[in-house]
Amino acid sequence: MIIEIGHLAVIAALVLAILGIIAPLVGIRKEKGVWIEIGRQAVTVNFVLLSIGMAAMIYSYITQDYSVKYVWATSNSKLPFFYKVAGLWGGHEGSLLLWSWILSFYCMAAVWIHWKTQPVVIPYLIAMESLILSGFLLLILFLSNPFERIFPAPSDGRDLNPLLQDPAMVGHPPMLYLGYVGLSIPFCFAMAALFSGRLGEEWIKVTQRWTLLAWMALTTGILMGGYWAYYELGWGGYWGWDPVENAAFMPWLIATAFLHSVMVQETRKMFKVWNLFLIILAFSLSLIGTFLVRSGVLSSVHSFAADPGRGVFILGFLSSMLLLSFGTLIFRSAKLKSLVLMDSMVSRESVFLFNNLFFLVAMITVFIGTLYPLLTEALKLKKVSVGPPYYNAVFMPVALGLIFLMGVGPYISWRKVTRDNLRSHFVIPLLIAGSGLVLSYIGGIHDLYALSGLTVVIFALTSILLDFSKVSRFWARQRKINPFQGFYAAFRQNPRRYAGILTHIGVLVMVVGIIFSTIYQTEKVVVLKPGESVTLNAFRIELIRLYEAVGPNWVAQEGAFNLYENNILISEMRPQKRIYTVTQTPTTETALHQIYMGHVFLTIPEVAPDGSWARVRALYNPLVLWVWYGGGIMVLGGLLNIFRPRRKEVYSFHSSSSPSAAEPISPLPQLSSKRVSPEP
Amino acid sequence: MNENSGGLRVWHIVLLSVILGLLILFYKGLYGNPSFIPPVLVGTPAPRFEAPDLYKKERVTLDQFRGKVVVLNFWSSWCQECKLEHESLQSLNRQYGQNAQFVLLGVDYQDKEDLAKDYLQQYGNNFQHIIDTQGRISIDYGVYGVPETFVIDQSGIIRHKEIGPLVGETYIKFTREVIEPLLKEKS
Repeated sequence: MIIEIGHLAVIAALVLAILGIIAPLVGIRKEKGVWIEIGRQAVTVNFVLLSIGMAAMIYSYITQDYSVKYVWATSNSKLPFFYKVAGLWGGHEGSLLLWSWILSFYCMAAVWIHWKTQPVVIPYLIAMESLILSGFLLLILFLSNPFERIFPAPSDGRDLNPLLQDPAMVGHPPMLYLGYVGLSIPFCFAMAALFSGRLGEEWIKVTQRWTLLAWMALTTGILMGGYWAYYELGWGGYWGWDPVENAAFMPWLIATAFLHSVMVQETRKMFKVWNLFLIILAFSLSLIGTFLVRSGVLSSVHSFAADPGRGVFILGFLSSMLLLSFGTLIFRSAKLKSLVLMDSMVSRESVFLFNNLFFLVAMITVFIGTLYPLLTEALKLKKVSVGPPYYNAVFMPVALGLIFLMGVGPYISWRKVTRDNLRSHFVIPLLIAGSGLVLSYIGGIHDLYALSGLTVVIFALTSILLDFSKVSRFWARQRKINPFQGFYAAFRQNPRRYAGILTHIGVLVMVVGIIFSTIYQTEKVVVLKPGESVTLNAFRIELIRLYEAVGPNWVAQEGAFNLYENNILISEMRPQKRIYTVTQTPTTETALHQIYMGHVFLTIPEVAPDGSWARVRALYNPLVLWVWYGGGIMVLGGLLNIFRPRRKEVYSFHSSSSPSAAEPISPLPQLSSKRVSPEP
Repeated sequence: MNENSGGLRVWHIVLLSVILGLLILFYKGLYGNPSFIPPVLVGTPAPRFEAPDLYKKERVTLDQFRGKVVVLNFWSSWCQECKLEHESLQSLNRQYGQNAQFVLLGVDYQDKEDLAKDYLQQYGNNFQHIIDTQGRISIDYGVYGVPETFVIDQSGIIRHKEIGPLVGETYIKFTREVIEPLLKEKS
């Protein structure tokens, strides 16, 4: 009964979503507010209806109603409670429902927040969001209905995919969806701007925080996924260029490019078409990602069962969205010639230009790599896989370039750079980076990637710190406070800038983590009998014994290992080879020991049936935790940026249109112009 | 970034063609099967190749092994599963390497020479390897990912293809049901 209520609620939501497309458009056409008001109410009611749908599904999971086909397919009576709820997004149908629910939530929130301030574009936004929502609801109701029943009802479920039975399952998919779907808000604002012809800087300012929110969720989701893959799949890496990872990474790259290039439009009124293009591209990549994952076009650890019927529908929807959005952009672009041209190739504008080019190249690289198997198949070429070397070859230089720009971009002046600007900001960082290079080489780092990576990291970090010290001292002098308070004053003066730079610091930390954990990872794969051991750097790992272990819905062979560092016992580790009883799926459970911000990583991929030996894979991943610490700092920067205090001055100088008035967006150019004059 | 007018038409057309091309590709992709790997070559003559040895300067050809059972293992230093099966490969060579009818040949795929050498140094090595610099051999054999192992019989016909690592049960089956019968066939 409950499930039917949920089903009806979702049917009603579809009807209202279609109304949500039509009503605002009628309202705009006939200039009648009441129609727009209907659209607005439809959005709110839709969220309530979809919440009922979600609640009905969750209720069926908790009450173990296996007459609901989807519950039967993704749950089991022995499954821990935790995963009974998370089972909702453990398969195709439920994930789509979650997608739609999040979409309706975002839409409602956007309408509430911007209703008063954006009366012209909101009706278009409602229509656009409703269009996306109805596409998904059609898909849910006609092709992948989670509310479907089976008769007779099975006595127990087929169990959730064991790889998904992990705490990360609770957070990782919803986070990614918050990111994917979150991009729909700036996308819809951009579309609304295109439709309504209000193509100024307004939509950029309105959507800046929304984009950040989506970006932050996407970052968190990707990081969680990386950590999950790291310990669950047991191969010791956190990034494998898997098609589904790539599907999340591509919108991230473009959203990041967008977050940077909007700053150019805000201050210099340039890149107008480009920004529209980027945000349309970012959301399109979310949709393409959904298509790739959901239709089974590419094979991946994440893929669910393929169904061409479903695929055709998603593709049809994707096609209409792509053609509608890019088509409108092309149609309207003639209006959008920007009046400002680049003054110099060495200026902050051009740094942003390169930043965008790098991100775009990165995204195209990943895109081609991901679709390559599809391409070879369509062209009847022989299938060849694209391995990590392909991605690394293209990605490394791009990443190095981007880090370098991090050290340059925020400190170079707009329009045209002066010799003094270059001298005061970049001589010291370059010198320090140079000596860092020499020291690292002497210190034993000889890998080319590691050396160049560390050098640019040092350069960027020195640039940042140098600037921190300059502004802190500036404000300290100005207000007669100590430099720490001075730094806080600088932050208060321009929280957006410093939150952004905090994110940059996070990236730098992460890059150091990536360099060390991939290039200086050590690994041994050996067969051990109890009593034998393997050495790895200063560590010795001894297999004590192998035995059986039993869990709620699995049995395992577990190994007890002692971990010695310089022959001193420091820890005990217990990796498992697990078999989930319902599905008979084997998984590898990793044992991790955290040390010096890195990990000793242990798995037993193979155990003799009689327990006499085990194949042991031991890894030392130095500084691997920096990858996630860095990620954490990035997210923190994003949070600070979203919830930064509003600053009155921001609006005063934004409204001015002369390019020189754009300068004070950061206090720095102003500051540096003061510093050019001889110091007192 | 084409805001300085002029080239507007060109980017319109490029953008539209990219989108249309993609959509066609996706549409075709729907009716393909991504996990379907063409049953390349099992039962057909093994593609011939000539490639440099990883260590020595000499070139190795498939023809020089005519009359032997050739086990061709595609691997890479960046491949995780290859590391798992590496021990099995070495024991395979310990078991059959003395047999004049048997050759185990590693093909280093999409790799860097020094990385491959480091890998073998680290995990041990007791058989010959060639490098597939241009990826030609892998393409001819339709290698989809590493590790993949092909078994070629005495008259140069591919008799078996194993996708994924040769470990545990797979390894035992491989020796019992593929290698043993083949070695007996003509001797």
